[in-house]
Amino acid sequence: MSGEPANRLMAVWRRLIHFGRASAFDRELDEEISLHIEMRAEELQQDGMTRADALARARREFGSSLRVKEETRAAWQFRWLEETLSDLSYAARALRRNPGFAAAGIFSLALGIGANTTIFSLTMEFLFSEPSGRNPGTLAAMRIGGNSHAYMRHYRFLRDAHVFDGLAGSNEEAESNWRSGDETYRLNAMRVTDNFFGVVGVPLAMGRPIEPGDRDVVVLSDRFWRTRLGAETDVIGKALTIDGRPYTVSGVLPPDHRTVLGFGFSPDVYLPASRENDVVALIARLSDGMSLPAAYGRLVAACKELDKVYPPEWSPQASWVMNTDVVPVAGMARLRHLSMVPFVAFFSMLLIVVGLVLLIACANVSNLLLARASARRQELAIRLALGAGRRRIVRQLLAESLLLALLGAGAGLLLTLWMAGILNHVQLPLPIPVHLLIQPDWRLLLYSVVIALASALVAGLLPALKATRGGVSAALKRTERQVEGRWSLRGGLIVMQLAVSVVLLTMGVLFVRNMTKSMTMSPGFDADGAVWASVRLVPEKYPTEEQVRSVTGTFLGELRALPGVEAASVARVVPLNGNSIRGDQVLADSSAEPVRVRFHNNDVGPDYFRTMGIPILAGREFVASDRKGSPEVAILNENLARRLFGDRNPVGHTVRYPAPHMSDPITVVGVAANSKHFTLGEEKPLAMYSPYSQGAGGNLAPHLLVRSSRPEGLVREIARRLGALDPSAAIEVKPMRNALGFALLPSRIGAALLGSAALLGLALASIGLYGVLAYSVTRRTPEIGLRMALGADGLAVMSMVLRESGALVGLGVAVGLGIAAFATHPLAMFLVSELSPTDPPTFLGVIVVLSAVAAAATLAPALRAIRVDPMTALRSE
Amino acid sequence: MIEPEIPDLLPGTLYMLVLRALARGPLHGYAIARRIKDTSANALEIEDGSLYPALNRMLVKGWLQAEWGTSENNRRARFYKLTADGRKQLERETKQFEKLVMAIQRVMRTA
Repeated sequence: MSGEPANRLMAVWRRLIHFGRASAFDRELDEEISLHIEMRAEELQQDGMTRADALARARREFGSSLRVKEETRAAWQFRWLEETLSDLSYAARALRRNPGFAAAGIFSLALGIGANTTIFSLTMEFLFSEPSGRNPGTLAAMRIGGNSHAYMRHYRFLRDAHVFDGLAGSNEEAESNWRSGDETYRLNAMRVTDNFFGVVGVPLAMGRPIEPGDRDVVVLSDRFWRTRLGAETDVIGKALTIDGRPYTVSGVLPPDHRTVLGFGFSPDVYLPASRENDVVALIARLSDGMSLPAAYGRLVAACKELDKVYPPEWSPQASWVMNTDVVPVAGMARLRHLSMVPFVAFFSMLLIVVGLVLLIACANVSNLLLARASARRQELAIRLALGAGRRRIVRQLLAESLLLALLGAGAGLLLTLWMAGILNHVQLPLPIPVHLLIQPDWRLLLYSVVIALASALVAGLLPALKATRGGVSAALKRTERQVEGRWSLRGGLIVMQLAVSVVLLTMGVLFVRNMTKSMTMSPGFDADGAVWASVRLVPEKYPTEEQVRSVTGTFLGELRALPGVEAASVARVVPLNGNSIRGDQVLADSSAEPVRVRFHNNDVGPDYFRTMGIPILAGREFVASDRKGSPEVAILNENLARRLFGDRNPVGHTVRYPAPHMSDPITVVGVAANSKHFTLGEEKPLAMYSPYSQGAGGNLAPHLLVRSSRPEGLVREIARRLGALDPSAAIEVKPMRNALGFALLPSRIGAALLGSAALLGLALASIGLYGVLAYSVTRRTPEIGLRMALGADGLAVMSMVLRESGALVGLGVAVGLGIAAFATHPLAMFLVSELSPTDPPTFLGVIVVLSAVAAAATLAPALRAIRVDPMTALRSE
Repeated sequence: MIEPEIPDLLPGTLYMLVLRALARGPLHGYAIARRIKDTSANALEIEDGSLYPALNRMLVKGWLQAEWGTSENNRRARFYKLTADGRKQLERETKQFEKLVMAIQRVMRTA
């Protein structure tokens, strides 16, 4: 019957309502019962009884009103709930009586659960947070013709086609210069179309958003408003000088603003994208119920129209329909689409790792519970003997671990809040503004409840079953030894805990070794004697490419004239701090067929290789005469030279790009030594360098590079000189050494997170191991005393004890190593190529550390045991 | 003391009897017990102690509703009333009960 579940639900609902008015209910029931007795008594009186007799009889007939009340009340109660509550309060009393036990258990679980909830909330925030806006479920990011961004005219055409409820655009890579006092700062701006705030429905904390028709207004982020403008409340309507023009502050975003890009990306300001050559990533508001495939269909139809008006420039056969897609703004589909799968893999690995930490913590609690169960053996035996069901007692014991787990989860959540506060303030050395905004939410709460329940079961079930196993007779025996075999649950726990810690430690050590390897790895250029000045010019001040070229030249001249400067140059991309990857067909004049290669294609000025300390192996550097208009030239790195020309010397040969139409020949003038371009971990990168003034002369954000014997001393001087040349330019100067921070970031984050998880796991496992091993040796004190009394050699006894726990430890470590050898294989994707996941020193180190912990845990109590006076030991038997 | 001999209720029939007693209109607890006793010509008597737990279980199930009102002799009393669900339940139980009784009778007459 379909109404049945609904009825059940209603019954629960009625019970819940009742729960709220339990005392009124009791009063009403009293009234009802007394009326019942009264009426019966009146009836009896009419039959001729005296009032007193009638009342007495009516009461007798009614029976025990207490029992009736109890049973009536029971009709309304959730029996399991109330029983659980009473189990919990019993457990609470038990824990209060054993504060040491309770503290140890809660401490272990708090660390284990706290690690899990922290990584969980980090994962949710980084990968799965939703953008701030109205109903993000009906927002979709769009891409046409395979391009991440569309030109304004294309955007306007699609917008005016009205195929969606709204179409807006944003450009996240829009840097701007903000002039404040005598200083110019570089701002990370988000340029958005004037309808962006309306379409996305971005909430504001103050003022109004950018609205259609707005040109010179700016919306501030909470962070910018607080840290740069002192959180002035009258900021609305004030003007900021941005890129040399006054912009009126129209609004301020709330502190929990999340951009549509996600991943913690948080620009300082939002500006209108009003320039014709702006490009924007498209975001559409779908009407309610429109599916993504339906939206895709509409977009394709619109793109076909776009082809008629603005055919794609790059090829006559191309169409905007090609590589067009529609992606949700949150969730897994988006991550797949943005090729964020390695990040998903990394966070999954983190979650597994902290899961292992929790497993160790649970094993600790299991051990504590086992030890306590043997102390409570007689209490449990008596209860079993008195007829308590095994189920009931198991439940009660589980309630104890549940209470521990809930308290542990509470403490763990506090830990997470504290960690979130720290993580939210971490300033990552990234070229893009990334700030995490980890906030506790219902997902975190649900997750912690679930893992608390799981830990309660994992930690409590086996000890509870064991404590009640064998029935009354076994339980009534006075000591535990007689019922426990050699391969006990306790032994199993040791093996399990060791195995898990081996896996954890192996991962942690691998990542720490990965970091040290990365840090000592040579990037192929000499970072120590170099300074990096990144400049951003205001586009309005230099409208033509020629003007940009000229001011870049002036900057370089100024740098070369500084005392202590050995060489200076300019580049479009600084290695390890930006991407210059290009996939293209290249045709070498020495071969008939073009090859398709993915190579790094940087534009660099004269003296670049001398400035960066990259040796030229053949031919020459770029010189001032390699300029726009002169014959096109290139320098290859060793890898690409070998790939295109084999063992021949490529200098003097030419290369061409055959697609989309055959380019002019480019003469190879030199071969440079290999160096790193995008990541330290990359293997055998291919690279082609082009002269800066031939390819990137009009670049508004040139990177100026300086080689000097005193790089640190030059930093301030360079900033001052360049600033004096153009006060409107934003200039950042730092030693090249610091600039490597970005490249080292992944390995540092990996080492920090996995290293601390491994340390936490090791600490928990050590405490647990020490406890168990020490406990099992202590239990044998009488036996050891007896052996000593009978004249056994202390050394022999020691070696016997060590052998026995050594067998357990050896088994645990062996199992762990076996698992680790497999489990670490997928980690290769996160490690530098020089480091194998089955790195022998790592494994050896792990074995040494764990064996040392186990030996210490066994030796100390064993030493104590052989020193025990035999008489004392015997008396205790 | 000599109590009149009263047969035990068949198990599971208490709900049905209460529902039947309320089919003709709302009654308070005592009146329900009274009605069952009277209509069965004193043959059936509900144990006072089991009436109130049963009434409350039926409230939870949604077969009854309770309301405070005034009794025939002007006292505040809690009146129980059948709900639509309760009426359906009564039909169901009556049908099942009749089937059961007929089956038992058939066995008793032929065997």
